[in-house]
Amino acid sequence: MKLLKPLLGTLLIAGLLSVNSANAGAVLDKIMSSKTIKIATDANWPPQSFINDDNKMDGFDVDVAREIAKRLGAEVEFITPNWDVITAGNWYGRWDMHVGSMTPTKQRAKVLSFPAVYYYTPASVAVHKSSKVSQVSALSGMKIGTGTGTTFELYLNHDLVIDAEGAPAFSYEIDNPVVKSYETSVVALDDLRLGNGVRLDGVVSSLPTILEAINNGYPLKVVGTPVFYEPLAVTVDLGDNELNAKVASIVAAMRTDGTLTTISKKWYGVDYATVK
Amino acid sequence: MSETKHNTKGPIISIRQMNKYYGDFHALTDINLEISIGERMVICGPSGSGKSTLIRCLNRLEAHQSGSVNVNGVELHQRMKDIDKVRSEVGMVFQHFNLFPHMTVLENCTAGPMWVNKVPPEDAHNIAMKYLERVNIPEQADKYPAQLSGGQQQRVAIARSLCMHPKVMLFDEPTSALDPEMVSEVLDTMTDLAQSGMTMIVVTHEMGFAKKVADRVVFMDEGRIVESNEPIAFFENPQSDRTKKFLSQVLVH
Amino acid sequence: MIQDTVTEDIIMRKPKFIAFLFTTIFICFFIFDPSQSIVGHLLEPALGDPEKSGFYGRCVTASMSAVLLVLNLLAISWIPNFRLQVITVWLQLLILFLSFFYSFDLSFEFIRSKIWFMVTQGIFTTLYVSAISIVIASFIAIIGAVAKMSSNGFAYAIASFYTSFFRGLPLLMQVYLIYLGFPQIGYVIDAVPAGIIALSLCYGAYMTEIFRAGIMSIDHGQWEGSRALGFKFGLIMRKIILPQSIPLIIPPTGNQFIAMLKDSSLVSVIGVWELMFLARTLGNKTFNHMEMLITAAMLYWMMTMVLELIQSRIERKYKKQQSR
Repeated sequence: MKLLKPLLGTLLIAGLLSVNSANAGAVLDKIMSSKTIKIATDANWPPQSFINDDNKMDGFDVDVAREIAKRLGAEVEFITPNWDVITAGNWYGRWDMHVGSMTPTKQRAKVLSFPAVYYYTPASVAVHKSSKVSQVSALSGMKIGTGTGTTFELYLNHDLVIDAEGAPAFSYEIDNPVVKSYETSVVALDDLRLGNGVRLDGVVSSLPTILEAINNGYPLKVVGTPVFYEPLAVTVDLGDNELNAKVASIVAAMRTDGTLTTISKKWYGVDYATVK
Repeated sequence: MSETKHNTKGPIISIRQMNKYYGDFHALTDINLEISIGERMVICGPSGSGKSTLIRCLNRLEAHQSGSVNVNGVELHQRMKDIDKVRSEVGMVFQHFNLFPHMTVLENCTAGPMWVNKVPPEDAHNIAMKYLERVNIPEQADKYPAQLSGGQQQRVAIARSLCMHPKVMLFDEPTSALDPEMVSEVLDTMTDLAQSGMTMIVVTHEMGFAKKVADRVVFMDEGRIVESNEPIAFFENPQSDRTKKFLSQVLVH
Repeated sequence: MIQDTVTEDIIMRKPKFIAFLFTTIFICFFIFDPSQSIVGHLLEPALGDPEKSGFYGRCVTASMSAVLLVLNLLAISWIPNFRLQVITVWLQLLILFLSFFYSFDLSFEFIRSKIWFMVTQGIFTTLYVSAISIVIASFIAIIGAVAKMSSNGFAYAIASFYTSFFRGLPLLMQVYLIYLGFPQIGYVIDAVPAGIIALSLCYGAYMTEIFRAGIMSIDHGQWEGSRALGFKFGLIMRKIILPQSIPLIIPPTGNQFIAMLKDSSLVSVIGVWELMFLARTLGNKTFNHMEMLITAAMLYWMMTMVLELIQSRIERKYKKQQSR
């Protein structure tokens, strides 16, 4: 009776576990042999990725992911873990690739690899319609909301390093903000809509997200010009250089043949796929 | 089974120099006792004298700390492997019946034979009905214990023990928790059982029962056996002062 | 609780209490300023535009509202039938709640388009994750309870360490630890099994105490009666003790299940598409967050009510069995 407990515990765990290979070197082989690819993305991030009216994943990132999968000759399966779980790295083959507007930063490059930048989005500052703020620097020392673990948060904390080729330089325009980090910056927009200064004075997020919110009746406006341009890359786990090379060539081809521009125009009305 | 071994007159239980403690409290002191097959022994004494503790040591519901208890040729001790076998051969009837309330009377009686002795269900049913008839309540077989009177419940408890074909029956104050009008039906059942030749050890205050049925009466006080004798000698010529005092108290009414 | 057969006067019949009630409600209303409310608008012919009626208007509307509320309470107190009284109060509170939600100006069109998916995907996932977890947790709890009552130091140490650890950590942290931690030792588990393991281990720890109390409450005479017949430990547990403790274990276990139903929302952080996950994501594209949150809230509430109903049925069944 006394031995039962640890025994049952082991059985329970062994029964529920599927012992996958944690060896990332074999990811491309696995994709090619199984003809399926698991791609992680966020379900909370319109218009890049979200659940559409048919309750399916949809959006700019999702279309890009589908196109990459098609060119790899694999069926795509979407997985929607939390952002911080993705950025923590060490995926152990739970998913093979992440197409979810991730900015390549030095910190992230320690645990993940970024084979290809596929578009650049402007990061902008939104304020309530009734706000008197007319330039970004006027928000210094005020309450600014954003998503936790995002580049926007790093920017607000003056800790952002972008090490992707072709990314324009930027400067920190907001001094000493009171940073309020939310689960996603969309939640921050929800707080900002309550009124100017009620909970937040401004939100830093991607310009497309802010514009989408305004389109949906949020009483917000964009302040000034974008604070930085975020290069956004396809992400894979460390260690499989063959996969890196393959993805890099696929994304390069998608840029040259205009596929990325087409998808960008479909979702944003503008071409974010090439550097301005 | 008890009938077949009746003529081999060896001791079925023998206790030598047994001591029992509850922490610092010395509950039983230097107990020496032998019960022969077919013998009917009544143990009496004031409350707290250790008589219930003694009888509960015989199937090791309680542990003794020194000396030896030997039941049916098996020495009882802490690391023994076959205590369940010993217990299945020693029937016990409790003051508070300890019937299983979630099972019918019949299920109470068939449980032991089926689960311990691996008797097939039909045979277990027959055994149970046989002993329920013997204690005169076969018609209550499908009721639950809570639907019976105290006397009926205690008779079911006796039948439940008998279903295991015990070699010896232990009774731990079987009538103390009963309403007065129900005492006699239980005592009658026990008397019947005694007359059938069952080896019995009975802890009780019912001196009438002791006079009528017992081969030997043991008087205990403060954890010791004070006196042990044939019933006639015990009641008419008690040796110790404590026995005399006890008898004067219980027989005055 | 056993009701006394003698009760005091109904409190709503005491003028002093009514006066006190009225004053309190009046002060509350006065602070919240009801002049913009329905009552305020109804009084418009007498007071003029509610926005301009000022201090006087605020007093009148507050006192009118207080009068209406007190009259309502008085009316309820006159309902002679206990059941009817309960139903009336329930309905009033429900209407109050619904009108509160209604005032958010929700898009019911959007809710209608999403509710079926929330039920088939969200509720289904929530229920099956919780159901599997409660079954596993019950097994863990039985073993844990036995180990905690055991005289074996080793078993007791493991069981008490287990309950202490899993009761001492926030469930969310356990979910993360299992999902992110297991791969570190070579086992990669998917989100759903990770969630089930976390919920089972956490609730197993709480339920260990429930099972222990249930087992302890059985009279020791049952143990002695069984032992005297020669039953072994496992048999006593299975056939004698557990069947009798189940009526005591069922009600708190039902409560645990209801609590688990809501705690299972924590597995949404690792990407399981259960009700909470859908509530947070479905409304994102069109920014209908409030709609989805309120719908999910209602669905959780309804599930809980159904489960409470089932639980009271089961309890009644066991009560009947006990009184046999």
